[in-house]
Amino acid sequence: MKRNKLTMYKVKDIGGNYLFLLPFLVFFCTFTIGPILYSFFMSLHRWPILAKEHPFVGLDNYRALLKDKIWWQALRNTLYFATLTAVTTTIFSFVLSNFINNLKRGANFYRFVFYTPVVLSVAAMGIVMGWTFNTQYGIVNAFIGLFGIAPVNWLGSKELVIPSLSLASVWWGFGGPMIIFLAGFQNLPSSYFEAARIDGANNRIIFFKLTIPLMAPSILFIIITQFIAHLQVFGQSYLITGGGPGRESYTTIYYLYQTAWRYYRMGYGSTIAIGLAVIIFTITIIQYLVGNKRAKVEY
Amino acid sequence: MKKFWMLLLAAVLSSVMFVSCGKSDSSASAGAADAPAAAEAESDSIVTEAGSGDMKIVFWNGLTGSDGVTLDGIIQQYTEVHPEVSVRVEKMVWDTYFDKLLTSLVSGNPPDMFLLHEYEIPQFASQGVLMDTSDFFKPAGPLDKADFEPEYLSALNYEGGFYGVPLDRHGWGVVVNNKLFDAAGIDPMAVPANADEFIALATSLTLDANGNNPGDAGFDASNVVQWGTVASWMKPNFLTVLWQNGGDWTDGNGKATLDTPEAKKTLQFWYDLIYKYQVAPVPAGFDGWQSFANDMVAIIPEGCWMFNFLEDNEMDYSVWEYPQLGDKQPAVWTSGHVMYMPAGLSGEKLDATKDLISYLFNNTTKWATAGMPPASMPVRNNLDPADVPIAVTYGSSFARQGRFDNGHTAITEIIDNGYAPELDACLNGLKSVEDALRDANAAVQAILDRGF
Amino acid sequence: MKKKIDKNELIVHIFLMIVAVFCLLPLLFCLKISLEPSRFAFQMPTVRMNGFTLENYINVFSRQDLMLPNWFANSVLVSTVLVALQVSVVSMTAYAFARLKMPGKEILFSVLLFTMMIPAQVTMIPVYMIIKNLGLLDRFLALWLPGIANVFGVFLLRQFYSTIPGEFEEAAKIDGAGKFRTYVQIMLPQAKPGIIALSIISFLGSWNDLFWPLIVMNKLEMRTLPVGLTVLNGTYATERALVLAGAFVAILPALIVYGIFQRKIIEGTMLSGIGGR
Repeated sequence: MKRNKLTMYKVKDIGGNYLFLLPFLVFFCTFTIGPILYSFFMSLHRWPILAKEHPFVGLDNYRALLKDKIWWQALRNTLYFATLTAVTTTIFSFVLSNFINNLKRGANFYRFVFYTPVVLSVAAMGIVMGWTFNTQYGIVNAFIGLFGIAPVNWLGSKELVIPSLSLASVWWGFGGPMIIFLAGFQNLPSSYFEAARIDGANNRIIFFKLTIPLMAPSILFIIITQFIAHLQVFGQSYLITGGGPGRESYTTIYYLYQTAWRYYRMGYGSTIAIGLAVIIFTITIIQYLVGNKRAKVEY
Repeated sequence: MKKFWMLLLAAVLSSVMFVSCGKSDSSASAGAADAPAAAEAESDSIVTEAGSGDMKIVFWNGLTGSDGVTLDGIIQQYTEVHPEVSVRVEKMVWDTYFDKLLTSLVSGNPPDMFLLHEYEIPQFASQGVLMDTSDFFKPAGPLDKADFEPEYLSALNYEGGFYGVPLDRHGWGVVVNNKLFDAAGIDPMAVPANADEFIALATSLTLDANGNNPGDAGFDASNVVQWGTVASWMKPNFLTVLWQNGGDWTDGNGKATLDTPEAKKTLQFWYDLIYKYQVAPVPAGFDGWQSFANDMVAIIPEGCWMFNFLEDNEMDYSVWEYPQLGDKQPAVWTSGHVMYMPAGLSGEKLDATKDLISYLFNNTTKWATAGMPPASMPVRNNLDPADVPIAVTYGSSFARQGRFDNGHTAITEIIDNGYAPELDACLNGLKSVEDALRDANAAVQAILDRGF
Repeated sequence: MKKKIDKNELIVHIFLMIVAVFCLLPLLFCLKISLEPSRFAFQMPTVRMNGFTLENYINVFSRQDLMLPNWFANSVLVSTVLVALQVSVVSMTAYAFARLKMPGKEILFSVLLFTMMIPAQVTMIPVYMIIKNLGLLDRFLALWLPGIANVFGVFLLRQFYSTIPGEFEEAAKIDGAGKFRTYVQIMLPQAKPGIIALSIISFLGSWNDLFWPLIVMNKLEMRTLPVGLTVLNGTYATERALVLAGAFVAILPALIVYGIFQRKIIEGTMLSGIGGR
């Protein structure tokens, strides 16, 4: 009897707890879970936005995607861009934060300056970097012109367009990971470093044999998160190159944007989105597995 | 910390006030009673209001440049003659404009009047959102079909219906830099008669830093200071020469025809200008208009909308009809801004809009000052070449050899995703002429097979 | 307190100085061009100023289709309201996940984590259809509603709530406070650093967002700053100095806010554990 009463009380009590989740769940279901499922539903249909009927086409969109040369080219460009940008950003910000961390003074100044480009919106960044890399009037070509080098077509050549966009993105974003690394450095046990110094290790040995191994989890984390973030690159292609020259800077999201909102093919657009999701999901799983394995090895 | 939240609060409050002020302005202008004051308040926004009549017409277009201001002036004149009417003109950049227009048409909240290009008709008419305008013309209506070229009329036909009233007939031609021609001792009005003459002319107008022409011993292709010509916007350049060679991008029966000898010949011509004859720069990263204004380009194929830019930069220039660069037939790419109404418009609103459209159609002399040749032949024939050289020269060229692109329900995708990127890849040296055209043909064919 | 100048440190300083110069140079050159007569924008840039004029800035504010103050106000409004909505909903949710007894919450939480791995673009098309069908295109609600359920925020704040000692809740219970009052008065203040970090991260995210506002906000006067800038860039390609002046008008407030709150912003970035973009 007593026990029953307690359960009743508990049920009522616990039921009230769910009210805390209610507002979130309403929005979460409407704008996240529902759309994820609906997106898959749409990808199985031909879905021109204006049409009144949306015929079911089964897996036709997915078959078309596998054969779509533009999709594969966009994916290649995106993977190339994301790899280049993630690796460069990580190395660059790691090295810089290591330098800054060892400074006796001025650290705050550099931290401030290097983080500045991060506060630009992608639109402002696109305008500034578009003109910076401009072939005829850009400051990069003006700069190399000082050394007698002829103007380079940064954004107009197959070989250079992705590296140029990547460089622009590194400039824009390296401040973020740098801050994370700086936070990571403060958490390193200083006793290790003192011991190493007493043993007579020089800076280089400390950097490669101590700092990098200790920071390895952070480095891996930053590379992966940067990589995933840059797989979703859009503004750079949209604003700076318009996908050109040819389709050399088409990215998957740029292609998705064109398909869904320029040509109003919502079904195929959903298929592209899901294709990208599968890739990002796979990478996340790999990251998780690798991360776990590392953790096991370390202990 | 407190400071942070205070500032945030202040920012929100001020922006709420700002936005709500903006709102009240536009809602005030919706009420007819205080419309004059509202029109004044809106004068610094992209929305322009003309007149203060009770009959309110909403007109959308994509003319955000100085051409849009010219059109506003004509509408203003109309409302002075018709005080019972007021017109609210909303201007957006073309890209956004299409998005906005589509959604408004579908959601059933469209403007009373809007502009489109003639080749976009199938995209819209196939959805049943455009009003058939057959009864605008004699005998039922005020306008006369005899004022148009027949090919313009047929471009406005879609599956038995007739859609829209044309405002202008714009298109493609050539502008040359007199200063550079004079310096080379060449008459700027000596229009080349064929491709070979064009290449020879462009060659003698291309100079490296040492004053050598392409083909001269010691010509330094990496240090060209003046280009003979430039591969400007490739859609009209390619289509014009393709048509002149007797080809087209489609046979009109669902088949892409971009892998034909005519197409190869056309693209090869443009490719050779850059890579064989070295009289035009690699297009990516090259700003044609500014380089022309900076006396770095002698001959630029361009649209008539370059007129205001040329005048603003006080250029000394001459205008050519597009030269005969192909060898089968004369042709030049043209298009038109066409006035439309949504399918559901009716009653007094329809009559008022009809009247405004007829007025605009018959009063395009001023519109030509934005460089646009009027659609009405009588108006076009009375223009003064000294005032509007581009509108007159281009206009007469279009009347004789102008050709409209094929409309299609997926025309935007066919151009932007089908062949344009392939032409771009070819001219920037990423693909051979054959590969680019093969891929373009496959891409266009895929879209044609799919339909919309 | 005489400090010996370390030779190594000096070299590092020189290196970092060079990087700092390259970091700021693109911005400074764009600023310079925007302050020169417009004809110099189409020449190779020089270090020397070619005259000085505010003409481009005056133009930016007088062009009919450039409504920068309006766009700026929109951006401020959109980002602040979104942050406010998001934080109030998310922190409550995070609290529940961290502290309250709810059978099945682990499963629910793993569903949340699962959706974090799916890129936002997957949901965009259906969300666009929902917004369109609700008639919310060109309304601020189109930017607010889809952003409220921020899973990352729940994840971040849950960690904060988990670290708060249980005594606080016990004390509140003894005082007879209800669950909601306990949450608002006792727990919420404890999670303040986390909430500030989340606010900053999501403010910056919303402030910078281009893709979504580009799709749902078409009306000129309803645009946010990034969308407005893309229009400026597209429409005035022949007027580079004007475009750059417009970009600077957009950048300046962000730089000022960053200058004032740089410590908070940088700490927020550190706390969130993700390096921005």
